Amino acid sequence: MFQGKQSKMVALVLMAFFALSILTGCAGGDSSSRQVLNIYSWADNFCEDVIADFEQKYDVRVNYDIFASNEELLAKIQAGGAQYDLIQPSDYMVATMIKLDLLEEINKENIPNLNNMVTTFQRPSYDPEDKYSIVYTWGVTGIAYNPKYVTDEINSWQDLWNPAYAGRVVLLNDSREVIGMALKKNGYSNSTISETEIQEAVEELKTLVPNVLAFDTDTIKQKFIAEEAWIGTVWSGDAAFIYEENPDLEFVVPKEGSTIWADTFAIPKGAKNKELAEKFINFILEPEVSVQNYEYIGYSNPNKQAHPLHSEEYLSNPMIFLSDEEMKNTEWLEDVGDVLTVYDRFWTELKVGR
Amino acid sequence: MSRGRMLAYPAIAWLLFFFLAPLVIVLFMSFLQRGTYGQIIYQFTVDNYIRFFEPLYLQILGDTLFMALLTTIICFLLGYPIAYQIARLQRNWQTLMLLLVMVPFWINFLIRSYAWVIILRSQGMVNTFLLDLGLIEQPLNLLYNFGAVLLGMVYGHLPFMILPIYVSLEQLDRRMIEAAYDLGATPIKTFFYVTLPQTLPGIIAGSILVFVSSLGMFVIPDIMGGAKSALIGNLIQNQFLSARDWPFGSALSIMLAILSLILIFLYYKALQAQQGKEDSR
Repeated sequence: MFQGKQSKMVALVLMAFFALSILTGCAGGDSSSRQVLNIYSWADNFCEDVIADFEQKYDVRVNYDIFASNEELLAKIQAGGAQYDLIQPSDYMVATMIKLDLLEEINKENIPNLNNMVTTFQRPSYDPEDKYSIVYTWGVTGIAYNPKYVTDEINSWQDLWNPAYAGRVVLLNDSREVIGMALKKNGYSNSTISETEIQEAVEELKTLVPNVLAFDTDTIKQKFIAEEAWIGTVWSGDAAFIYEENPDLEFVVPKEGSTIWADTFAIPKGAKNKELAEKFINFILEPEVSVQNYEYIGYSNPNKQAHPLHSEEYLSNPMIFLSDEEMKNTEWLEDVGDVLTVYDRFWTELKVGR
Repeated sequence: MSRGRMLAYPAIAWLLFFFLAPLVIVLFMSFLQRGTYGQIIYQFTVDNYIRFFEPLYLQILGDTLFMALLTTIICFLLGYPIAYQIARLQRNWQTLMLLLVMVPFWINFLIRSYAWVIILRSQGMVNTFLLDLGLIEQPLNLLYNFGAVLLGMVYGHLPFMILPIYVSLEQLDRRMIEAAYDLGATPIKTFFYVTLPQTLPGIIAGSILVFVSSLGMFVIPDIMGGAKSALIGNLIQNQFLSARDWPFGSALSIMLAILSLILIFLYYKALQAQQGKEDSR
């Protein structure tokens, strides 16, 4: 098709193009006789010292692989997840995985430290029988803003529509989160399956788009740290991270209520070292261990025995601990089944601007 | 001859396994259905293809084609003079320049896209520089718009245009240029009647490479465009992630592949016509 020397050049260009993709990903095996706990989780989700302590205490090795989204996790587990012993799906993904019969029941007798947990998360809607998951950390989606530029009082999702912030609003690049936000603003459930409610929410979001600087999930923190963004929808844990880097930040849970999320521990069907995984969960729930772990990762610790041991700074941070009032006004994003394609369609419409 | 053929077997096996097999799987999947929880239901349907022709998705296809075309034209307008200058340099300078054109490939494309964000954002290098000079009072909005996406697309694809054009300039029969001058043609006339037609295969090869890889791009609109617009690449990505609709995503991928094949076929035809013209001279 390409002529002579030209075809060589084209081949060269294509090789340069593909060479990059080959140099990624290869998991190493372990030849030693030590038991291996294979964890599949989010990046930086544990304090490394805590993992090292666990390895030493039980003379095992921890193999830690990471995923970037719940969907990536689901795809890998569906393709044969038996290679992992412990996974960390978020709330709605736990529900999906239960329905797809991908999770193993957790044997709670192996985890006596479960008694240390707060009662807030018992029998959550995504795991109504409390059989398949244990809350690891949680947070809410709220409004973060930089008080240097945003001087009005912020207490409602409607404040994002304020023309004074034109071109400075950042929204999560996530259809369920953003449409869910507009649904909450209108007083509906963030997981509605009514197409008219979704449509109404999206019509309003279309009027928000001119205010939007960008949709961003992965690097939203950098946008706030660099003060490109003044105001936007931010997860509480990310807000805590931004605050560490740039203290010009306030975080509020709007009065209409918001979306709560949790990352959990779960064990995939066919896991080879189920008991070791339960040992690990129990270890993380030791009060002293959890203090070290959660102060490092900067997310909320659901371990009530650990609270007296935490630093004042950690406990008083409104981006890590929310008041009971704020917590009462939150709602889980639930798996909407077939209606997910409706959300996706409206999301595409919003992006295309039709 | 037979020994030569033997040598080709590993390559053919490689192609069959890593190119054809995934393609067949995608084709197969595009005729299946999405289950309630995003699983795949093994039941034949052509709905995914019918859905592709809805106005919403056709508009995304149109936007994508427009963006790819604009990228290709700008890459040509920038790439041709660069290739031309490189081809006129001394041998060892040429090697150096070609190396410089290739160097960006050594760094992951995602990282290079974020580098552009750092350069262009409101507190980025360009804005800080202009503010310090007093040329502007407010930072310019250089990112998260159509222009930023176009810049990223052109930046990412320019080498694909420069290299094939350079090769065809290299192969140029310089005696023809001399002949044109001898017969009294001006430099401009010589360029348009002698140089440009002879380098047409390089231009077409470069354009196809740029155009086809622009069609599938999704990183640039997300990072430099602030995910405010959607190209077909973003739509496909969404089907495999948030929407969990692999069959529809597969159908979209197949349509994109068919479109690319048609374009390559047209290129092949154009090249044949061009050669036919040359042979009959």
